[in-house]
This record gives sequence, C-alpha cells and structure tokens, in this order.
Amino acid sequence: MFWYDLASSLLVGTMNTLELLLISAPLGAGLGIAIGILGSRKGFLSILARAFSSIFRGFPLLVTLFIVFFGLTDFGIYLSPTASAIISFILCSSAYISEYVRGAILSIDEGQSLAAKAIGMNETQEFLHIILPQAIRRALPSISNEIVYMVQYSSLAFAVGVQEVYSVAKSFNSLYFRPLEIFSILALIYLSMTALVTLAFRKLTERLRIP
Amino acid sequence: MMLRIEDLRKRYSGVEVLKGVDLELRKGETKVIMGPSGAGKSTLLKCINLLVRPDGGRIFIDGEEITSKNDVYRVRQKIGFVFQEFNLFNHLTVMGNVTIGLTKVKGMSKNDAILKAKEVLRAVRIGEELWDRYPAQLSGGQKQRVAIARALAMDPVLMLYDEPTSALDPQLSMEVLSVMRELSKRGMTSLVVTHELSFAIEAASSIAVMYDGRIVEEGRPEEIIRSPKTAEARAIFKGRLNYVLV
Repeated sequence: MFWYDLASSLLVGTMNTLELLLISAPLGAGLGIAIGILGSRKGFLSILARAFSSIFRGFPLLVTLFIVFFGLTDFGIYLSPTASAIISFILCSSAYISEYVRGAILSIDEGQSLAAKAIGMNETQEFLHIILPQAIRRALPSISNEIVYMVQYSSLAFAVGVQEVYSVAKSFNSLYFRPLEIFSILALIYLSMTALVTLAFRKLTERLRIP
Repeated sequence: MMLRIEDLRKRYSGVEVLKGVDLELRKGETKVIMGPSGAGKSTLLKCINLLVRPDGGRIFIDGEEITSKNDVYRVRQKIGFVFQEFNLFNHLTVMGNVTIGLTKVKGMSKNDAILKAKEVLRAVRIGEELWDRYPAQLSGGQKQRVAIARALAMDPVLMLYDEPTSALDPQLSMEVLSVMRELSKRGMTSLVVTHELSFAIEAASSIAVMYDGRIVEEGRPEEIIRSPKTAEARAIFKGRLNYVLV
C-alpha cells in the first residue's frame, strides 16, 4: 500500500515538476540569449539588459518568487502558484544565461570581426552570420548547466504551494515517516531529470560541433 | 591610378603612427611595403579599407575619394584584405567562408555563389577535397590561400596583404607567395606588406620603405636593394642582397 501510494503521488508530482520545467527552460534560455545579445551591444538597451541580469542574479530565487506571488497582489495582480513559479524561474535562469551568452560573444576573437568587416559586412550581418553562431556554440555547456540547476531549484515552487514532486514527497513523508525510502526515490527522480537535460544538450552540442 | 594616398595621418591615444604618408599604385601594379615593426605598415593598410579611420589626409580608390565617405561597407567590398592571422570564419567550411560574403553581402544566389567560389578556390589551388573542411582541419598555407580566395570572390579592384606569410614556415610561405605572385602577374593590383624579398623582386614593381610613420624611400626592387639611399633602407637590405640575387 505504501509503495503504491508513493508511486502514484510521486508520479503526479513529477508531472507537475515537468510542467514547470518544460515551460521555464525553453523560455528562460530564449530570453537569456536575447538579453545576453542586447547586453553585448552598445547603447541604452545594453544598460537595461545588464541591469536586468544584475537584479535577478542578485535576488535570491525564493525572494523573487515571493515578490511575484505575494508582492504583485498589491497591484491587483493575482498569479497562480504555478504561473508565479514559472515566471520566477524564467527571470532567474535568463539572468544567468544572459551573462553566459554575453561572455561568449565577447570572447569571440577580434579577428573574426575584422574579417567580416573586410568583406563588407555591416554590423548586423557580422553579428548574425559570424559572431552569434560561434558564441551560441561556446555558451551551450553553460546554458546546459543552468538548466540542470533549474531542475534542482524547481523544488522551491513548494514555497508558494505548487504540488511539485518535492512538496509531494515532503507531505508523503509526514504521513508515513519513512524518509530514507521516500527521499532516496525523490533524489533518483531529480537525477533522472538532470541526466535527461545533460543528454539532450550533449546531442545538441554534437550536432552543432565544429571540428 | 587605382590607389592614391595623400598625406595620410593617424594617431592612437596621442602617439602619431602615420605622419603623412603619400603613396600611389597604378592599376595592375604590385607594390611591396617593408619596414621595421612599429613603422605603421599595418595601420596604413587598415586605413585603406577603413578598418581604421584616418585622422587626416585623403585616400582615392579608382579616382573616388573614400575617407570622407560614410558608406564604408561598399568601399570595403571593393578591397580585398588578407590578414597575417588568416581570420577564417571558424564555424564555416572552406566553401562557406568563400560564399558567405557573396550571399550575405552581395545578395548572390547560393548556386551562383558556389560557382564563383569554385572558380576562386581553383585559382588559389585549393582542391575539391578541401572544400568541406573547416579551418581547424587545414594547414596554415591552406588557410591563407582560402583567405585569399574569400577576398578574391568579392571581385576586388585592389588586394591588400598584411604580412600574409609571417605566421607560416618557409615551405608553407612558398605556396602562398606563389599564389600571390600569380595573381599579381595576372594584373591584380596589390599592396603587400611583407619581409619576403624574393616576392618583391619577382612580383613587385617597387618597394616602399616605411619608417616611423613615413615612407622614407621608394624604388624598383633591384635598385633599392642594391643601392639604398637612406640609412633606414640600408638597415633593411644590408646583407640580404647576395641571398636574393644569386
């Protein structure tokens, strides 16, 4: 009975965690890349982009989560726990990813830019066709790492009441008090998810690999 | 005149690198610039295709004044530039390196670009078996010849070479120099910064000696090597005459 109940509750919890991740990870990566690109350029937007990443890397995720879920109610914005968690994860991960992307862009050798200019490319063409394709490849391992973190910190969604897999395991443990079995299985679930993320990124990196 | 430079000046944070350079290059002519490092050779070349903005003086390409132009992209398309460090696009194959300027800058169709690329790659003797390779899979000499092909593909009226063989060992230098020599012989107007005296003798109509931001002496290769008039030129050619002319 214990094992059946455990399996069915953890399954539901895992589904909820996956829902958070499948939305947050692509949007967080996409927004992070966009903000990283802006941050690497000149002008006002660049300052905004870098301010964004400083702010959301500076706020603990839990604090961001509380601001989004509880704080915004002062403005009449009532978000569901799941929506609040997804928004917070996107803000946090994109802040980190934008710095990886910005760093990768800045790390591309000056000679690449000179050669692009020398054949008559304007700044947009140079960036789009020469710099960015190389920078994204360089940033992929770090982006992968950030998504692995996201799998872990998705457990923080319990704090606003999302029934994700960690909160399910915790409640289950207060009923049965068999922490070793429950949390070991929970750990294995997280391990499988991070293994999947790592594998997916490894495939992507291989496909985009330049000799 | 394909290229005319008048009183070109450039300073970097207070240090004057070009102190008034005058230079002329006829259509089809190849000229070599020699001089010690820090003389301003590289800066001079980079000014000509506006990779570096000069502070004073004027540059004419084919009669058209370019230094006051805002359309630097159009000017650069007409001038091929070959770098010492090759600077091939690392994420593109040999074919990709040569076609990208044609498709993205000139708006050529992919098929036309490939046809053009094949032509220039053959001209620099890069065989078909290398067309799908990435820069990291090429030798230095091959890289530099692909870089020359990339520049040639844009149909430049003028080629600028900035120490194209300084990063190569003598053997690999030879294959690059022989391609450059062929292009010059076929009438490609070229300005070459190099220390290779043999190239200057075989392919150039004159050598300009640059020292401390100025061109201090200019003359036909044999003459200037045999009887340099200035101390700066003597310092460059001293003891190298026999090596070259035997």
